[in-house]
Amino acid sequence: MHRRYSARGGGCARVLDKLRMKPELPGEGATRVIPADAATVSCRRPESAWSQHRRSKKKFVHHVYDAIAPHFSATRFARWPKVAAFLGSLPRGSLVLDAGCGNGKYLGVNADCLFLGCDISAPLVNICASRGHEVLVADALAFPSVLGRRRKAVEELVRVVRRGGHVLITVWAVEQEDQSLLAKWTPLGPKYDEEWVNASAAPQPRSPSSALSLESIPEAHEHPPARWVSGPSPSLIPSKGIIGDAEKPDGPRAEGTEMGLPDDDVEQQEYFVPWHLPYHRAEVGGASAAIASGFAKKDDQKGAVVYNRYYHVFKEGELQRLVAGIEDAVVADQFYDKSNWCIVLQKT
Amino acid sequence: MRLLTHNMLACNVKGVVNGYPLRLEAEVVAERPADFNADFLRHIFARIDWKAFVGAARSLPEEHAVADLPEDAEPSMLASEDFLRRFHHALLELHVEKGALVCPETGRRFAIDKGIPNMLLNEDEV
Repeated sequence: MHRRYSARGGGCARVLDKLRMKPELPGEGATRVIPADAATVSCRRPESAWSQHRRSKKKFVHHVYDAIAPHFSATRFARWPKVAAFLGSLPRGSLVLDAGCGNGKYLGVNADCLFLGCDISAPLVNICASRGHEVLVADALAFPSVLGRRRKAVEELVRVVRRGGHVLITVWAVEQEDQSLLAKWTPLGPKYDEEWVNASAAPQPRSPSSALSLESIPEAHEHPPARWVSGPSPSLIPSKGIIGDAEKPDGPRAEGTEMGLPDDDVEQQEYFVPWHLPYHRAEVGGASAAIASGFAKKDDQKGAVVYNRYYHVFKEGELQRLVAGIEDAVVADQFYDKSNWCIVLQKT
Repeated sequence: MRLLTHNMLACNVKGVVNGYPLRLEAEVVAERPADFNADFLRHIFARIDWKAFVGAARSLPEEHAVADLPEDAEPSMLASEDFLRRFHHALLELHVEKGALVCPETGRRFAIDKGIPNMLLNEDEV
């Protein structure tokens, strides 16, 4: 939840840094971070990879979550057993920061602790507030560079919990329990180009306000077109946790290309995961604008507007490799929970 | 936004050396009862910046301004039920519904609306 840019053009703010939480976040700090990230969409103007990323992130993450917030919230109540168990195990009187709290389904899960939630999506935060939770709008993570932001995200979390405090990170796994799900996701790469880029290449009415139009993706300069979208590639997993991708040995890397070129046997890890917003729920005004600009598509069979959310999903071990380099924390636990890789760090 | 949350927030605009504590400008404050939890209060006491906490409590509009908290607090005070009650009330039962948090260094304002502080920064402030 973390690594998203406010749709309102706010810069990225490390919730913890923006909050500049005091180094010793009081209480048994435990944070869950839900980053979100965006595929790359470039535009004609030679933008720095960084701002391209911000622009695309805004669209494929923030705009989506803001657009689907009420529906997303209404369908997000099941708590993952091991996450709930982790929260239940915290000492009485702990203070828990749920960074990337979404609709706040974990807030208040342990009555003996005090929960503070934050998310970059104001509509979601408002939903939490309406349920009486203590929340604020903030971007949990800001990253100085395109690469290594996942690492920075983890460091930020460790920074704000007190010594001995715990950080639980959960992310979507490539190894989904229901493998058929993957078929419903759009792998980024060739298919992405065909459905989203070339489809939008058709002449579109260019109204100045349609800031959302999709444009072609710049070809990777010295590399053959990567199997995944080049340019400031996504690196965080938007599902319930942050993670960076493994620190692969640094080959020559085009500015902004993530971690160099994937080798052939790398499984597909970058996806658009659809969100079906039923017509009756879609505030048609908003949805129709999104459809007009190619940001969402209508699916008459299902009677729903389809928004695509960018996801990078993690392979087994990827999470462990990411946190391996963190000095002032040790791995206290790691597990697989409901198609998520999870890891608990303890600050030393 | 409770004073507990205020106690943990700071300004992080690029270049700010010490954006803590944020000056609290509370326009609208609501009082809502919260479950009294002595365990929590004792646990959290050691981690509260008392000076920032009392400063914020005293800065609230008169009808809510807190006057019964000591300038400095010692752990020994936690033995007093009366102190715990006053600590509890100021820390957890006062909600700033509307107002702003102001960076002590840059004067950058973070709005509080519907009880929710918005800490997002502009792209040039990152």
